[in-house]
Amino acid sequence: MTQVQLEAGLGEESKEIPRNRNRPRRRKRARQVGGVVLALALWEVLSSTGAINKNALPTPAATLAAMASHLGALSSALASTLEAWALGMLAAGVGGIVVGTLVGRSKTADAATETIVRMMRPLPSLALIPIAILIAGLGIKMTFGLVSFAAFWPVFINTRVGVRQVDNLALETAKVLGLKRFSLLYRVILPSASPIIASGLQVAISLALVVTVSVELVGGTGGLGQFILSAQQGNETATMFAGIIVGGIIGWALSTGFARLVDRLIPWRTRGAGGTR
Amino acid sequence: MIGARPDRRRSGTIVHFGLGWLGLAILAAIWQLLALALHTPVFPTFTTSLVAAWHVVTSSTLTIDIIPSVERTALGFIISAIIGVAAGMVIGHYEVVQDWSSAVVDFMRSLPTPLLVPVAIVIFGVNGRMVVVTIISAAIWPILINTANGTSTIEPTMIDTAKTYGFRGRSLFLKIVLPAASPQIFAGLRVALSVSLAVMVVAEMLGGGSGIGYFIANAQQSFNIDGSYGGVIVLGCLGWIFNTLFLLFERRLLAWQRGTVGGLLDV
Repeated sequence: MTQVQLEAGLGEESKEIPRNRNRPRRRKRARQVGGVVLALALWEVLSSTGAINKNALPTPAATLAAMASHLGALSSALASTLEAWALGMLAAGVGGIVVGTLVGRSKTADAATETIVRMMRPLPSLALIPIAILIAGLGIKMTFGLVSFAAFWPVFINTRVGVRQVDNLALETAKVLGLKRFSLLYRVILPSASPIIASGLQVAISLALVVTVSVELVGGTGGLGQFILSAQQGNETATMFAGIIVGGIIGWALSTGFARLVDRLIPWRTRGAGGTR
Repeated sequence: MIGARPDRRRSGTIVHFGLGWLGLAILAAIWQLLALALHTPVFPTFTTSLVAAWHVVTSSTLTIDIIPSVERTALGFIISAIIGVAAGMVIGHYEVVQDWSSAVVDFMRSLPTPLLVPVAIVIFGVNGRMVVVTIISAAIWPILINTANGTSTIEPTMIDTAKTYGFRGRSLFLKIVLPAASPQIFAGLRVALSVSLAVMVVAEMLGGGSGIGYFIANAQQSFNIDGSYGGVIVLGCLGWIFNTLFLLFERRLLAWQRGTVGGLLDV
């Protein structure tokens, strides 16, 4: 156990189950829609019969109505959340890939960062929210710093392992063919590491969103988190649920969108290239 | 890819180990020097923070905040594991169940869980139960999805063979499916453990009433700055202990498949 385990992306796993491959697609879709309808019906029953206190769980219709009436506030909250998310994610993605490649290709740097990674990985970045507030105050700078810090680790860890695992035969062959440093990096090392890097990015995307909304909740710095918190404080549970549903849809759209993009960009990606091979 | 990766690290294990700690020492030294150079109250030195961490674990904070946090995390994680594994096996084994549930599971998994804390506070109030429920609502998904995935990728021949030998219902799940899916299940459990810790902290910051997250946030708000750094160090150690215990447990339980499944444990 000398090496740190990869951050396995969960997003791409669920749909690649071999037994499902030959089944008619349309029936599967119909069942998925059925599942959503069933869940909504269950929600309706639980809330309208009062099985769960109506103050705590509004009906789906009430939630939808709240969503419609707060459309403006919701979309501006969403825009501010997405902005913080995108900035942090951009820095984490670029930083994680660059530093991960440098460290992963150097034996000494790789060994020297091993313990740091082991200690940092289990530390929840969310615990750093109060400290980030102390240092940077309540603002976009603090959110940006924390989001990029948290999302950096999965990208860095996976890149570091990915560039280390490049097939030696491919590497030697490329060298014999006369590829020099940078073309070696762009044509052999990064393409071969890209499925693992993509898994790291997939994890980072969800993590960055979690950190963004957590900062907004704890620090009250606007965005979806604060929208939901102030709805709770104002006792408007339907509005609160509207915010939660929007958060879920955004989370789903971001991670599914990225998984689709990866499927298109990295067709050589093999199943389970997230560490469980 | 089994065995294709040359293990170039084995030769220099001691050097490697030493370098690892050197890296950490350098990081601590940078922290110390930076703090000394900046000399601001919001960024105490490494040694001051260590002393503060020592105060945290030797004072009454241990019983008031740390032990409740450990209990909540452990309880939330264990309940998530039981529900997640059971539901995951059913979902993975029956295609119909998988189809019906996949969209809803996908949505719930993508939902940034901290958003649920305000709802949990409305339903359960500001207490430990709220924290446990929030942990479950987040930690269950990686376990469930990995279990379902591990279950549905079991060789159909294995299931058929077991059936002809008379394994049905519960015995099929417990004696055949569970062991066969266990490597994947453990991968999910590992993710869930980190998730549990993270969600515990955030839930306690927002309304745990007590706990390490509450302590850290409270220390910051009352300008006990060293205290909040100390709390973070203690939390880091807690995370490390949880992870190490889990790895020991995993290695023990999955000892049978070392060497048969390439790279799963060592990647």
